[in-house]
This record gives sequence, structure tokens and C-alpha cells, in this order.
Amino acid sequence: MSIRRLPEHLVNRIAAGEVVERPSSALKELVENAIDAGATRITIRIESGGIDLIEVSDDGCGMERDEMALALERHATSKLPDDAIEAVSTLGFRGEALPSIASVSRFTLESRVRGADGWSRIVDNGRLEGEGPAALPPGTRIKVEQLFEKVPARRKFLKSARSEYAACVDVVKRLAMARPDIAFSLEHEGRKALSVQGDQSRPDRVAALTDRALIDNSVGIDFEREGVRLGGVAGLPTFNRGVADHQYLFVNGRPVKDRLLVGAVRGAYADVLARDRHPVVALFLEVPADAVDVNVHPAKTEVRFRDSALIRGMIVSGLRRALDEAGHRSAQRPSLGALGKWQSEPLDFGMPTPHQPAAPVQHQVWDRRASFITPPAPMGRAEPAWTPPPETISYPLGVARGQVAKTYIVAEAEDGLVIVDQHAAHERLVLERMKRAVEGGTVKSQALLLPEVVELDESACDRLEARIVELAELGLELERFGPAAMLVRATPALLGAGDTRGLITDLADELAAYDEALSLKERLDHVAATMACHGSVRAGRVLSVAEMNALLREMEVTPHSGQCNHGRPTWVKLAHGDIEKLFGRK
Amino acid sequence: MKATIERATLLKSLSHVQSVVERRNTIPILSNVLLEASADGRIRLMATDLDLQVVESIEAAVDQAGSTTVSAHTLFDIARKLPEGSQVELNAADGKMQVNAGRARFNLSTLPRDDFPVIAEGELPTKFELPSETLKQIIDKTRFAISTEETRYYLNGIFFHVSDEAQPVLKAAATDGHRLARVTVPRPEGAEGMPDVIIPRKCIAELRKLLDEVDGSVEITLSPTKIRFGLGNAILTSKLIDGTFPDYSRVIPTGNDKMLKIDPRSFEEGVDRVATIATEKTRAVKMALERDKITLSVTSPENGTAAEEVSGEYTSEGFEIGFNARYLLDILGQIEGDTVEVHLADAAAPTLIRENDKAPALYVLMPMRV
Repeated sequence: MSIRRLPEHLVNRIAAGEVVERPSSALKELVENAIDAGATRITIRIESGGIDLIEVSDDGCGMERDEMALALERHATSKLPDDAIEAVSTLGFRGEALPSIASVSRFTLESRVRGADGWSRIVDNGRLEGEGPAALPPGTRIKVEQLFEKVPARRKFLKSARSEYAACVDVVKRLAMARPDIAFSLEHEGRKALSVQGDQSRPDRVAALTDRALIDNSVGIDFEREGVRLGGVAGLPTFNRGVADHQYLFVNGRPVKDRLLVGAVRGAYADVLARDRHPVVALFLEVPADAVDVNVHPAKTEVRFRDSALIRGMIVSGLRRALDEAGHRSAQRPSLGALGKWQSEPLDFGMPTPHQPAAPVQHQVWDRRASFITPPAPMGRAEPAWTPPPETISYPLGVARGQVAKTYIVAEAEDGLVIVDQHAAHERLVLERMKRAVEGGTVKSQALLLPEVVELDESACDRLEARIVELAELGLELERFGPAAMLVRATPALLGAGDTRGLITDLADELAAYDEALSLKERLDHVAATMACHGSVRAGRVLSVAEMNALLREMEVTPHSGQCNHGRPTWVKLAHGDIEKLFGRK
Repeated sequence: MKATIERATLLKSLSHVQSVVERRNTIPILSNVLLEASADGRIRLMATDLDLQVVESIEAAVDQAGSTTVSAHTLFDIARKLPEGSQVELNAADGKMQVNAGRARFNLSTLPRDDFPVIAEGELPTKFELPSETLKQIIDKTRFAISTEETRYYLNGIFFHVSDEAQPVLKAAATDGHRLARVTVPRPEGAEGMPDVIIPRKCIAELRKLLDEVDGSVEITLSPTKIRFGLGNAILTSKLIDGTFPDYSRVIPTGNDKMLKIDPRSFEEGVDRVATIATEKTRAVKMALERDKITLSVTSPENGTAAEEVSGEYTSEGFEIGFNARYLLDILGQIEGDTVEVHLADAAAPTLIRENDKAPALYVLMPMRV
């Protein structure tokens, strides 16, 4: 068998395997080209999830007639004017996308530079089929039809049109989020799927693409350190989701899915969110071009940082600081469903309320005491608060007015009615207090009489070994024990004689997945949280107005008091507008 | 089956057998106790959880021999609530058992006797006797150190093994990875060549309960997989933990040169008092050793601090070391004499605690970094 140099069309097809995996990856390349061309409006049309058709039109700079032929050659690009690949400032630079896509589809490229005539080239699976003049507004229009028609192996591995479509939407969303200045529209089978105006502010664009409610339930981030800038929107912990699909991370305007960044986000939210809930974030990281390597993978979704510890530290502290500022905010209004239930109540008009049978008995008691100016405290939970009414204004969580079901505190704030879950709120306050106490001292660790050998694979051991110092600060003393085992010398005393092997394996897995030793902190927090739970006011305990007010005031000054240890809200507000709605006044 | 028993006799033996029966069972018959009345005037009660089995034999007036199984906890509760001194009549026929006492009548459902699982003992080649007092001492001084961690199942029991040192001995050891307790007694006759065995925690607990009723000696027969204790009227048979107990002799320090001699009672009380401050689960107590004096202290970020001085005999260089208060109290609670020797090396090395070098029991405790 002799070695031969492969023909151009085969080389392109091999490259296409890396770059064009599915319709959404082709779409990503085309939209990125449009953005790089300086477009202000990008229109996308797809049919059956992009398998039958992808069409991207932009109003960018366009291409000259002879440039168009070159654009379809491999490693031909306008984006690297010199040889400085380390300082890439455009989204693309490899010069692979167009020829790759053209080699596996029927490809129509039409382009017109301002002040010149348009020209088109049609390429069918790598072979030039024809070229000629074209009529179009200035800019470029690319049509990709019947993707992978001649590559049955690849075509068979595509998912249903529906899930390919979902992937395409995700790609467009991410790119649109990165560039709020550009208008995007996406049409799927003649139906408008997404449309955003240009020149939007970043929070507006993020909210438009994710969830309208995000604007009210998020905090802005703007943070700079050592030439690295972190901006974006962080959802409040109470505004969480069951899957991590609403986490958008951008590095220099490039959407990425990087485990370092995902791990840092998890780390920042670790103690305010349950393990199986995920925050909603859109983070934009701006780093000097030479501090980040985007040339890791053809699809460019992974990046490498020169100083990854700095980046991780920035994200964690930036997010934490923003969440700390949010303080007691939980900003969750009652859900529409809950409001709806409330509205249906007044229907039973003529019926006696269930309270009435008991009422006469109470009345007798009350009548006899009518001469008292204020009824004795244990009798009435609805007496006016002792604090004079004008002070309501000065407290964000308002003044306690009473207790419902011995579980919820009802308070009146300036702008509405606040309902607080007393157990959840107090639990959080106790936990925050305990955490402050723990931060002051060192973590105690119990040395093991029989050091435990935990066998792991070699890479897991390497990862753990790299973090030995950090883990020792948390009370876990490890030592390398041969190539594929770790020796545990001491464990955090707080955890007791727990399952050491399980802890070490979990830690190794997490270091692999998130580059962050979360579960040790989580387990320590869990012990603290359990103790906090036992040491806090339970539901069902009657509180006096003074106690309730004290709880509200403490919540206002304690960070993270807006959610309980599991990310559920500790309080909700029924704004005046909501109350008016209930009575049909609005 | 038809028999009459005195309520007190029935209650006592039921209390022995019912604690073997687990509260919740996936196999229904494991909730039951097997009652076997034989014509020679005895009833055998038997209960099992498939790993542990107890058989107790009591005297009764048997009218008609036979056997059946009924719910152990129900029968126990019935016997408990019957009036004192009453005669209990058990009458089993047609899948039911009648329990009559005084004017109370119960009709219990039964399960067939043939389905009741019995542990096949197999051959038990090693056989020896231990005085019940010795066995009690072994258990009391070691059981607190048994691990409850299921992942290290081989630590979930007391390890018995024989050894030929200056004189032949039988050693029992238990550890949970933080502390170790070991008791050494002269080797009883017949125990030579005994295989190393780990007796599970539940068996130890049941055995300890039964030992309170036994005066003379306990007959122990065992094989590498099963052990049987003959305790007068009762026979306890258990499977052994199939695992290898770690070579604990390595962790018993021999070169600890700093020795503290102290009164265990005042030491224990001092530790208990200062530990009041520690609200955390860790309960770390710091011990500062100086010449003939130790200072126990606890610092809690929430509650404040506590300190107590205890005098003792100490001549080496002073230093500080931390321990888990609960572990210290567990060990000190087992020391009966007027002095205890604490052999220390440094703040990170295992510490040896024992009454004196003649004492059968020895404890090793790992310090805590505080």
C-alpha cells in the first residue's frame, strides 16, 4: 500500500467532520462570519431543523468576486491580516468553515460589496456547479441545502428535525446574547421563532432571549481585576432551574461551554442553592486576547486561560459580591398560579365561612374583655404592631402585622404585603451566623488511627494531589500513595466517622467535572445546615409581634437571607398592584 | 400444640428472643418466633434474622406437643401486658394460636413451622469455655469502639484472636478508625489454634444482654464462619463477619516517652465539664500539659470558652494536644482504678491510654488538630 496525498475535496470532507457536526454547527459558523463581517442585521431561515435548508443573510461588508472563489478554498481567511494567531479578535480565524460546509451540501454563496454588483457561486458537495451575477442588497447571503445528502453515515446520526432545530435556536440565542447591538431574526419553516432588535442593552437582550422575569430576578455584575472584566446578569438563587440550560458564558464575545467556567458558577452558588438546582446566569468575560487561547477545538466552544486560577477566582468572587449586594432580596412574587387560586375563592358567596361556627364562643370571650384597651397578648395575633405606622416606610420588609397558621409572618411594607416563612427565614439566619463563626476559626480535623487507602485512577489522584493544600485547610489531609491510590490521614471532625471512601471518590469526580472541590464544602455546610435547622424557630410556633419584627430586621441586614438553604424563597411580596388585581381594580 | 406457662418465665425469654427480630422484615416469617413444645415439659423459643439466631428453652406444662410460629413482637407485647402471676395458655391449631390468660383471650395468626429458617451450624471445631465475668469485661471495654460505618464492614464487630507471646493469650480488639480498644486475657483451654474471627455488633449486643443472666461460664464453639455461645438455657448462634481485620498491632504506639499519670475520675469530670461549652458536633478539647498539671480547655466561637486545671503526675516537656471529648470520655469511663497512664508522643501521634502495664485493657486514641 503506498502513501498518497489526499485530494482537496476529501481533505475538506474530513475537516467537515470536525467543524460541521450537525446543522447547528454549520449555522454557528455562518452566523459568526456574518458578525465578523460587521453586519447590523442578520436574518436566518431554516427548514426542518436545518437539514433541508439553512439560509443566513447579513448586511455586512460583502466579498469581491475573486475573493469569493478564494473564500471557498481551505485555510483562506480575511480575519488574520498578519500572522498573530495569539491575538485573535474575530470569532472565526481558521478559514475552514466555508469549504467544509460546501463539501457536504449544496452551497450557494451570493455576495455584494457596496457600490459594486453582486455575484454568486454554487457549489454542490465540493464541486463548482456554476457562477454568475446575482441580485441582492449589499452584504452576503449563504444558502446551505440538503446538508450531508452525500454523506449518509453522518446523515443517519442526525437527531430528529425537532432536536436539531432546538440546537440551532440555542446557537442563535447564544450569539445574539453576545452581540446586543446586532438585530437577529430566526425563521423556522416560515414561522418566526426569534426576533430581537438591534442596539439593545445587555440585560434587556439577555432577558429577551431567556425569560422576561429575569430582569426582576437578577442582579447586574460589573467587576474588574487585573485587566479582566466580568460583566453580565446573575439570576437570584431563588430564580433557579432544574437543568443547567440557562447558563450562558461568553469569553470576548464568544459563546463557550467550558468546565472551568461552569464549575466556577457552581462554586459561587454552592451554599445558596440545592445541589440539583441550577442558577440562571449570563456572564461576559473580557480578557486581553493574548491571555486566552481559543484555538483549542475547531468548534471553539472550549477555551484555555493563561491564568485559570485568576479567572475562576474572579467569577466566584464577582458573583458572590453581586449576590451579597442582593442581600435579603428574594424578589419572588407569588406565581401566577397562586394568584389564580386566590381569585377563585370569592365564588362561594352565600356559604358560611368555616370560621363562623367557632366565632360565637370567641365572641363571648372577647365581649367580656371589651373594656380592656388592649387585649392580652396570647389571645390576639392580629393586634396592631407596637411600632408606630410611619416607620413602615423605612423598612424594606415592612412591619409585622400578624402570623398566619403559626408559620407565616404577614408584614406590611411600603409597597405591598410581605409574607415570610418563619422557619425557612430563621434557619437561614442561624446558618449565616454559624458560617461567620466558622470562618473565624480553623476547621478541626480528626486524625485517623488506620489511614485509609482509597484506590482511584491515576488522573483522579493527580487532580487530588494538586489540591492537597486547599483540602488540608478544610480538614482533609491526603497523601499520594503510589500511582493510583490516595492515603487519607485525617478527615474533618465535623463529618464524624463518615464514609471516607465515598467522599474522596466524589471529590475526584467533581474535580474532573468542575475543577472545584465542592462536595467537601457542601458536606460541611450540610452538617452546619442540619444543626441550623434544629436550632431554629419551627413552623407552628407562635411568635409575638416584637419577635416577628426582630426577625424581619435581622433578615434585612443578613446576606443571602432571601432564600433558605435549599434555594426556596424565605419571603414573597404581594405588591399593591397584585392586591388590586385580586379585587379587579386593575 | 397446647401448653401452659407462667407469665414471668414467658416474658423473660421472649424479651431475649424478640430483640433479635428486626422491626421491619421483607420475609414475613422472620418477624415470628418459633415455639416448639416437646412432651418432656419444655418449650423452645427461637428467633432469627438470618445472621443471628437465639434459642431459649423454658419449662412449661405441655399437654400436647407441637410447634408453630407467631409474631414475636405481638406475643411479647401481649405477655408484657398480662397481669402479673397469671398462667398463660398457648393453644395452636388450624393456622391460629390462641393465647388465654385470666379472662383475656387472643387469637393470633401463625405461619407454618416448616418455613422457619434455621442457621446451619456446620462443624464447629474450636471449643472452649470463658467465665461469664471475663466475657462481660471483654465486651464492655471494647464495644464502644466498634465502627458503625457500613462501608468498612470489617470494623463492625469485635475481633477475637489468639496469640503466643510470653504466655498464650486471647485478644479482643475493636476500632472505628479513630480509636482502638483491646483487651488481653489468658488463653482458655481449648482455644489454641482458634481461627481469627470478627463477631458482629448485633451479636455482641444480644450476647451482652444474655450474659447478665448467666453466672458460671459460657461455652464457646466456633468455626471460621460461625460462632455459638452456650449460655445456660439459651444458645446464641451467629454468622461471623467475612473480612480481614486490619493489623492493628502496628498502630499501638510503643515509643511514646511522655507519660501522664492522673486520676481518671477527676480527669473525666474535668473533660465533661469543659465540653459543655462545645456545641458543635466535634467537641474538641484542648489539653495543655505542664509539670504535674494539665489544663483542659474548649473554645467555641458561639458560646465562649471554658478551662479547668487538673493535677496529675507529669515530668516531661510541656505541650498541647487536642482530643474529641466524647472519645476521651468513652475510654475514661472504662477505667476502674485510681490512676490512669496516658502515654503521649506529640500533638499528631497516636496516644496510648491504660490503667497500668498489667491491666488487660489498652486504648489508643488519635488526637485532633485544633
